[in-house]
Order: sequence, then structure tokens, then C-alpha cells
Amino acid sequence: MQNMALALFVTLGLGLHAGAAPSNKELKIGISQEFENMNPLIMTMSATTYMYRMVGRTLVVLDADAKWVPNLAKEIPSLEKGTAKIVEVGGKKKLIANWEILENAKWGDGKPVVCEDFAFTRTVAASPNVSVGEKETFTQVEKIEWDEKTPKKCVFTYEKPKWDFYQLANFFPLPKHIEGPVWEKYGKQKEGYEKNSNYVKSPTNKGLYNGPYLVTSVRLGDHVAFEPNPNFYGEKPKIQKIIVKLISNTGTMEANLRSGTIDMISTLGFALDQALAFDKKVKSEGLPYVTHFVPSITYEHIDLLLDNPILKDLTVRKALMHSINREDLVKALFEGKQSAAQHFVSPKDPWYTTDPKFVTTYRYSKREAQKLFDEAGWKVGADGYRYKDGKKLSLTFMTTAGNKTRELVQTYLQEQWKQVGVEILIKNEPAKVFFGETTRKRKFGSMAMYAWVSSPENNPRSTLHSKSIPSEKNGWSGQNNPGWVNAGVDKAIDALDTEFDAKKRMAYAWEMQKAYTQEVPVIPLYYRSDISVVPTSLKNYRMPGHQFHETTEIEKWTF
Amino acid sequence: MLTYILRRIIQTLVVIILLSYVIFTIMALMPGDPVELMISSNPKITPEDVIRLREFYGLDQPAWKRYGNWVSTLAQGDLGYSRTYRVPVTDLLGPRLWNTFVLSMAAMVFSLVVAIPLGIMSALKPGGKLDSFLNFFSFAGISIPSFWLGIMLIIIFAVKLGWFPAGGTQTIGLEGASIWARIFDSTYFLVLPVLSLSIQGIGRFVRFTRSAMMEALRNDFIRTAKAKGLPRSAVLWKHAFRNALIPLITVVALSISSVFSGAILTETVFSYQGVGKLVFDSIIANDFNVAMVSFVISISMVLIMNLVADILYGFADPRISYS
Amino acid sequence: MNEVKKQNEIQRSETAQSMKVIVFRQFLEHKMAVVGAIVILLLLTAAIGAPVITAVTGLDPDRQNVSARYLLPFENAMAPADIRETEIEHWIAEHPDQASALQKSIVEKELVQGGEEDVLYELAALDPTEAKQLLAAVQTPEAFELKKVFDTWSTFHLFGTDEIGRDVFIRLIYGARVSMGVGILVALASGLIGFLIGAVAGFYGGVIDTALMRVTDALISLPLIPVLIVFAAIDLQKIPWLYGLIGGANESIFKMVIILCLFSWMTVARLVRGSILSLREREFVLAAKTLGARDRTIIVRHLFPNVIAPMLVSITLGVGESILFEAALSFLGLGIMPPTPSWGNMLNNAQEVIYNNIWLAILPGVMILLTVVSFNFLGDGLQDAMDPKSIRR
Repeated sequence: MQNMALALFVTLGLGLHAGAAPSNKELKIGISQEFENMNPLIMTMSATTYMYRMVGRTLVVLDADAKWVPNLAKEIPSLEKGTAKIVEVGGKKKLIANWEILENAKWGDGKPVVCEDFAFTRTVAASPNVSVGEKETFTQVEKIEWDEKTPKKCVFTYEKPKWDFYQLANFFPLPKHIEGPVWEKYGKQKEGYEKNSNYVKSPTNKGLYNGPYLVTSVRLGDHVAFEPNPNFYGEKPKIQKIIVKLISNTGTMEANLRSGTIDMISTLGFALDQALAFDKKVKSEGLPYVTHFVPSITYEHIDLLLDNPILKDLTVRKALMHSINREDLVKALFEGKQSAAQHFVSPKDPWYTTDPKFVTTYRYSKREAQKLFDEAGWKVGADGYRYKDGKKLSLTFMTTAGNKTRELVQTYLQEQWKQVGVEILIKNEPAKVFFGETTRKRKFGSMAMYAWVSSPENNPRSTLHSKSIPSEKNGWSGQNNPGWVNAGVDKAIDALDTEFDAKKRMAYAWEMQKAYTQEVPVIPLYYRSDISVVPTSLKNYRMPGHQFHETTEIEKWTF
Repeated sequence: MLTYILRRIIQTLVVIILLSYVIFTIMALMPGDPVELMISSNPKITPEDVIRLREFYGLDQPAWKRYGNWVSTLAQGDLGYSRTYRVPVTDLLGPRLWNTFVLSMAAMVFSLVVAIPLGIMSALKPGGKLDSFLNFFSFAGISIPSFWLGIMLIIIFAVKLGWFPAGGTQTIGLEGASIWARIFDSTYFLVLPVLSLSIQGIGRFVRFTRSAMMEALRNDFIRTAKAKGLPRSAVLWKHAFRNALIPLITVVALSISSVFSGAILTETVFSYQGVGKLVFDSIIANDFNVAMVSFVISISMVLIMNLVADILYGFADPRISYS
Repeated sequence: MNEVKKQNEIQRSETAQSMKVIVFRQFLEHKMAVVGAIVILLLLTAAIGAPVITAVTGLDPDRQNVSARYLLPFENAMAPADIRETEIEHWIAEHPDQASALQKSIVEKELVQGGEEDVLYELAALDPTEAKQLLAAVQTPEAFELKKVFDTWSTFHLFGTDEIGRDVFIRLIYGARVSMGVGILVALASGLIGFLIGAVAGFYGGVIDTALMRVTDALISLPLIPVLIVFAAIDLQKIPWLYGLIGGANESIFKMVIILCLFSWMTVARLVRGSILSLREREFVLAAKTLGARDRTIIVRHLFPNVIAPMLVSITLGVGESILFEAALSFLGLGIMPPTPSWGNMLNNAQEVIYNNIWLAILPGVMILLTVVSFNFLGDGLQDAMDPKSIRR
């Protein structure tokens, strides 16, 4: 009897789960990170933004070639074309830009996307009763006006004339005709809007979305299903059904892929080690998958606490740089699938330079490192470690516990520094403690390894400006954890925002890279790669390697 | 009897309230808060944003005050709002409570169905080959870490053989299918989790049934019944097993909490969408409301089950009186 | 005469057997318990002797080797080229005379191409086995010395290596130290707490008894894992006094012990209370009372010896249970923090690397199972042996 039952389950199982070749009929995407309710104003998780690009678009977006392209907008306004201008209002400089929304840009229920939607979104986001994370995205636009006769021609007035005013890729509009009544009713209560929003109450309402797909079912912690939006303004989506499935246990991701429970693994799926192992199997077993490794702008580095008496000495910091072989690190540990970093700007970024006029490179050379250590007064003792005034050259090296890649890198570096006589004490903490307490309050002693996520042409204010050094006074909020103070960099950061001349901005950026590589407040390690696994037959799939995920082009995907 | 039940209900309530306060304070001692997590994932958040959000979430207030707020909103029937999922807690909890209930009950029933016959067989020939074999395996069952067993089951049945899914709760897209197809589908996903969750129960119940049966078989009335020439099966089931049943009920009732405990691990290993996994995830993600509510609900569930079992026990055994 | 002798013998066999001997004999009859005891003894020896094993075999639980990750059981690992180079450099610096002599002899025999200065570095770049053969061919004492250095580079890994090239065997041994240490410490400490609470409740009765037993009952009915998860997630730095007490390298271990103790004393407390309730009215207690003995004396001197046997069984079973709880919490990432190895945290990431090295997921679990099963059998054996009802002659 039991055997029979088992046999029944097995046949049923095979019937349900035999990996049929994926086609335009249905695509099942695996993610390993949790997602939340899809209100674009409130969402903060990567998995949610990954999915939201399928159903919601913004005026502009950064495409896979790292170029700004219009989405809902007809074109990107600019000073040169006269579609944007700087004006003076009451002695203050402001910027006015004309945004025109595409004629056929509609919500899923067929209602047009209009300026009023953007204005409404701005009002909701600015309210103290709504928990928007990064408010400036919305409040940088002071007001949005339009003529009743041309509801799609909007005039945005910006608080400050910033050169990157057009980069409104996170300014997702809300449909006023649907969310307006909710706002009217609950807007005055704290958290009233977000709790009663239709994104929560009826997330499958077509009118909530304007992207190529619409949400057909949501189960938090499990999956979201999508189908094409007939009212989408752009290219007609090819794939008729998309399911994003959460598999929080990445260990079973591969089993799920092989059994056909999912057809592809998104950027938010595999860890590097798993992907490398899987890639080998793809090749040896001839599996019908492509593993993509695309260098991203996620910058892994080691913060050096500049208050530390040992690390205060620039010569020591330089010596530390010379003692590690980053090129070999990426080859030995990542099989060359991630790339070594020179500084905080990624090669994807137009600001990137390796011009020796600006960027000091630190060649791997034990001899050079030893010379510098000797110069700084750190002499090799009997046990092979260096000493100065009876004090050992010993540094604590912290990172997030349980992150295998980081632990691996840590080990590799520890060994290399040991060879030039530096003792590295490893002290790792769970991510929650590490980020919540240790780095934020600058309690990491000497070295902390983690990553910064940025975007191309990003002003590094929060990480490099001297005002961003976290302290009790500013509520521990900046991210200049090394505590680096450089007047030139401060000046460049302050000037950057309002500089409309692209060449001059570039010059500022190069100056910063110069100071950064000269003074070594941070040891650059490598840029992480975005990884995904897709069926070989999936066409038009491009990985951008930045925070605007590949789903910005999902309508083009086809088998 | 009635006063006993009343007293027990009040006691249970007091325990729940006290415990909720303790847990609330303890949770305030966890590292990081939602705002800190937000900062670490988004470098663009400004100091002003941080201060505003802290105030918004009431994180600047002391724990006891927040507890007060929490209780008063709870009293209004509002379970609160999940910081992680950004939906009301009620929306999250319903289906998961059901899933966990199904998983734990399936495991419980499965382990009883397997263990009771084995235990009786064992008791009939103590010291025999089967007995020592079963004895060894029930010890192993008690001692095996259920999460590790889960991993092993995944390796064997999902990775190597591919018979069962490696995790999950059901196939997506079956919403429109017939009820039977859906039940079949959920069962299919339940097989491995239930196996891994019930193994400890099987071990414990086999041992317990065996000793309870042996105790019962030693009674004089069994000898009398045998002497009367009653058929073997009647002696076994009508007389011996019925007497062994009473202590068994207690053990089963006491096992409820450990099955529920185990469900957290099982659900985590198999990514099964249950309330146990929710408790764990919300604690990890600092999702205060969800953690508190799911925690209190799950503990209440266990305590209430215990209470019911206690009362049932009173009905089952006339020798026990509660006055 | 003969008769008397026989009588004497019979008498001796009936009287001279002390309780200990009876218990011991009974215990020996329980074969699985004996096996369990032996396994535990072996594991304990390995755990206590872990530093010795490190000293003898040169295996270090924290020593990592990025060039030898995910090795399967019974594989050899080789130190990477740059480390080999540095070690040769060290050797030359320490033994300059021997080095130059060796260099000369190698060049003379024309074993390696290249200048005299670099000859030894060339060796490092070679395949180590080849280099060792070369050195053997030189046949000078210096070559023999250097060959010893070469020998240290190759390491044998009985159970393979993990994701950062650490030896799994030695980590399991050090894991035994942590897991068994936590288990035994928790069982003993909670035995003590349980005894005290149970004794006070049973001895004084009344309100104290009711209050203590209510707490015990409430705690016993809780689903433990969720409660433990909440407690384990605490950040100790937010409780300054406790952090001052146990903060530091082994913080997570002490934290684990304390948390597990908080929730595992109840069985012993109930047991002790039960026995003391009945002992309280016995003559020897009454006698001690009338003689004016203090309560403390009565509890420790007169009552404790009478409950020690059942307590011992309960503590033994408690060890297994604590090991399981520790493993579960560490598996969830809330228990013992890496890099300190415990069987639970070794399993923590094992799921992710099932495809890289399946043994990483299998071995720690086998260790847990083996240990817990041994403690459970031991406890069962002790119970059988000490239970007067089951004494078999």
C-alpha cells in the first residue's frame, strides 16, 4: 500500500514537474530574496524593485549600456535643447524642466498617465504620514504644473539647479484616479495611506500599473505572477506569463532549476560559488543554460579606520596596498569572473579613469611593501611579524560572518599580509551587528570589508565628504566610515551637484580619484559581478550591472 | 470541573501576557532596527531621512512605552503592519497559520500511525529481534537533528533522485485547478517536510507505546481475560491497548509544542510557507509586529492545545477528577 | 565444613555486593549503553586532546588554504606557490650557509637550469613532488633539511576541506569541543538550578511551591525553538553588565550556555520536587529537623544524596538534548558564531554547498547524531541500572 502511494506521488510529481522546454507561453524566474508589497513609493527591497520594473515605468531610466533613455517621457529635457532652464525665484536659483509624457502612456485600465499623477505622487511622498525611505527623490521637485488642456505636458520646478535633475528613475508615478480616494480618506492618519493603499488591498487592480506586465497574483514570501498589459505604451511583451518565485534557500535553487520548477535564476539568486560550480556543470553536461557574469558597480573594499594610530600613517597604508595581489585574488578565488578595483569609480562609469596623472596604482610587490614598512619604522622581529617601539603590527579585520565570499577573500588577504609581517586578527560579526552597530558607529578598530552600491556618475557625498563621518551629532548617519577628511574632495563634492558642464564634472571626479588613490583611506578590492542563469533559447536578455535591473527591458525578452 | 477549566484559562492568559511583555523587551535588545537596515542597503538615505524614519516608527521611545502602544492597538483589533512586507500582519498570517497547522498535524498523525503498531509489536515480544531493532531505531529517531535529516532528504530525494520538490508549498498556477489536484499537489510538497518532522515523534511514540503496552499487559485483568479464553486480538485491543491509550494521550499532548518547535526548523530547511518560518524571518529582519504577533499566536496555540488535551484527559480517565 | 563454605559464599554473594557494584553490573548488561559510553569517552578524549592533535598532526582548525577548497575526503592539498616561495626565503635567511652549499651542489649536478642565486626559488616554482625528487637526488644533508620544509606544504585531509580550505576533520574535533562542552555545561548547570528550585519548592511547600511550580509548568509547555531564537538574537552589547561579564572571543558560547540553561532546568526541578515531597516526611529528615539541623544542611546532606540517581539520568539525557538545541540554533545562524566551529554552524552553510562538496553537509550531522544517540543510550542504561524495580539477579 505504501509503495503504491509512493509510486503515485512519483508519477504525479514527474507529470507536474517534468522540465518542459521554456517557451513564450510561460517563464518562471527564481529569486532568493524576500520581496514586499509593491507600492513603488514605499518599497525598499531589491527583489521588489526587480519586479516593479515589469509593471511600472518612470519618465527615464538607465539602460543596459549605462545610458539615460526616456521611458514614459517623450524625451529627456536639457539646457542645450532649451527644454530646461535655470531661473531665479526670490533670489534663489531654481531649475524648470518641461517633461512631456508619451501620448500612449496609459495605466493598465486604459486611463492615460498624466502630470496630475506625478503631482499627486509628489504630494503623497512629501507627507510626514508616509514612510518613504529616500524622500529627496520626490522632494527635489518643488512643484509640478500643467495646463488643463495639455494634461501630458508637465512643468517640473526643481528646488536646486542640479545637473542630474533628469535622473528621475525612482520617481514612480501613482495613479491618482485609483489612489487619490485612498489618500483623501486616510492621508491624515499616520501610516494610513500605506496600509490602505490599493497596492495592499487589491494588488491585482490593473489600473495600478503602467508597465509591460500586470500583476495577476501575489503571495508574499512565495511568488508573484504577471501577464501582459494590453495598454502598455511600448513594444508588445512576447512572453505570455511570468512567474517570479521566491526560493529563499539558495542551496535548492539549482535543484529547482533542474527539475523545471523555475526556468531561470535572476540576478538576485545565486551566490558566486554556486554559479561557478553550476557553470562548470553547464559546460560538462551540456545543459541548455547560459550563466551570465556581468561586472556590476557594487564595490567591495576595506575601510581603514584612519583614527587608528597604525593606519594614520600613510606609508603603512601604501605598504598594505603593495602587499596584496588583487589581480591574482580575482583569478584564484573568482576564476576571473569578477574584476579587481582601482578606486571607487567603476569602469562602467563615464567618470572612470586609470590615467596615471590622476590615479596612483599600487603594483603587487612584496619588496616595495617591505621597504615602506621599514621606512615607517616597522621592523621584522624574530617571529616574522613587524614591531615598532615594542608594539606588534597587528590589525583587526572585520566583515560579515557567514558570507562565504568575503570570508574567502579575508583569508586570502590575511595570508598575504602575514607574508610581509602584518598580523591580521579576524573578527567577524553577523551582518545585522556589523552594519547596525560596528561600521555605523565606527567601532571596527582597523579594517572593515563590505560593499558600496552606487550608480554611474553618482556623487560620493555620503561616503567621502568629511561631513558624512558618522558621529553622535549627525545621528550616526553618514557613511564615511574611515573618517577621511580631504578639503579638496569636500570642495569637489559640494561643487559637483550644480555643475552643468560634463567636462568639468569629469575633472572633479578625476581630482577625487587622485586624492583617493594617493591617500588610500580605503583599500579597493574588486567589483562584484551580477550573476544570472537563463535558458540558452531566451533572446534579447541583457544584464545591466547596475541598480536598474534587467527587467527594464523585459518586454523584449523572447524565446 | 468548570472552575478547573476557568482557572486554567486564566492561568494560560496570564502566561501569554507576561511572556509577550518579556519577549517584547527582549526583542528591543536585538541588534539593528529597520531603519539601520535601510541605511546599509541604500547609501542615498540622508541623515534627515534617518531621524525622520526613527521618529516615524517610534523607535526613539523606550521599550515599555512601545509595548503599551502595541497592546493598545492590539486591543483595538489591529494586529499592526509588517515593516518587511509592508502589508497588515493579518494578511500575512492567515494562510501561513493554516500551512503550519497542516504540516504539524500531518506529521503528528503520520508519526502516530507508524509508531503505535510498531510499539505494540515491540511490546508483544520484548527482547526479541524486532524489539531490539526498533529500539535502536527509535533511539536514533529521537537523537537525529531534524534539520539535518531534512537536508539529507533533500539531497537524496530532490537532488539525486528528483522524486520530490526540494522546497516550497505548492505549484504556482494551480489556482484554477480542481480541488483534488490542489490537495494532491500540496501533499506532494508535504512529503519530505512531514518525513523529517515526524521522525522524532515516531522514535518517542514507539518507545512510549511499547512501555505503556508492557505495563498494561502486566495487569491482572489481562491474565484473567486470557484465562477466560478470549481471542488474542480482543485481549490486545479491547483490554491492553485501551489502558495504554490514556498515558499515550498525555505524551501526544505534550508533544504538540515540540512538533511546533520542530516545524520552525523544517519550514526553514524546506522554504515552507508556514508561521514558523515567519517567526524566524521576522526576527532576523527585525520585523517587530510580525514577530510579536506570530510569536504570541503560536505560543497561544500550543498552550490552548495543551489545555484541551488536559481536559480531554480528564474525560478519558474516570479515575482523574478535577474538583 | 563444605556446607558452611557454600553458605558463606551464598551469603557473600547476597550481602557483599554494594549498590555500586550492582548498578555497574546492571549497566554492563545494557550493551548499547556501554557502546554509547565508549563513544562518548572517545569523543571526549578527542575534544579535550584537540590541541594535542593539532600539535601532532599540524592541523589547525582556522588554517585556511584558498587553493585547496572543497577537497573530498582522503585528498591532499598543496600550499600555493607564493607561500612556498616565502617559506624558502625564510629558510634561506635562517640558514644562509646551508643554502649556499645547497645551491652550489644543485648547480654542480646541473639538476636545475638557471643562475646560482635563483636555484632554490626555481624549486618552489616546480611541481612539489618533482622538486622533492630533485632534492632527494642531491643527497646532501642540506637537501634533506630543505626537503623537510617541502614536506610541510603537502597536507592530508581525512575528511576533505570546506569552502575556505580548512580541514574538516580537525574542525569536527574542535566542533566536538564546543558542542559537547556546551551540552555538558548546560546539563550540569541546569541540573543544579533544577535541583535548587525543585528542592526549595518540595521542601517548603505552600505558596513557594505553588509559585515555583506554576513557572515550571508554564516554561515546560512552551515551544522552545521560537523562544530560544528570540533570546539568541539579542545583542549582548545592549546589556552592558552581561557584556562585561562574558563579552569577548567566546561570547557566543557563553551566551548559548546561559540561554539554554534558562530553559532546560524544568525536568530536573519537577523530578527533584516529586522525590523531596515524599522524602520530607521520612524519619531521617524529621530526626535531622528535631536535632536542630538547618534547612540548608538537610537539603544538601540528607536530601541531595537521595535524588542524585534520578538526577544523573536526567542530566545525561539533558546533554543530548542541549547538543541538539545548540546545533539547531547554530544551524539557524543564531548560535555559536563562526569562525569558532560547532557542528551546528558547520551545517549552517552546508546547504549552499551541497553541489560543491556533499560531505560538508553529511559529516557534522553524523557527529551530532552519533553523540546524541550515545548520550541517550547512556542515559537509558543508567536508568535501567539504577531503577530498583528493574534490578535483575
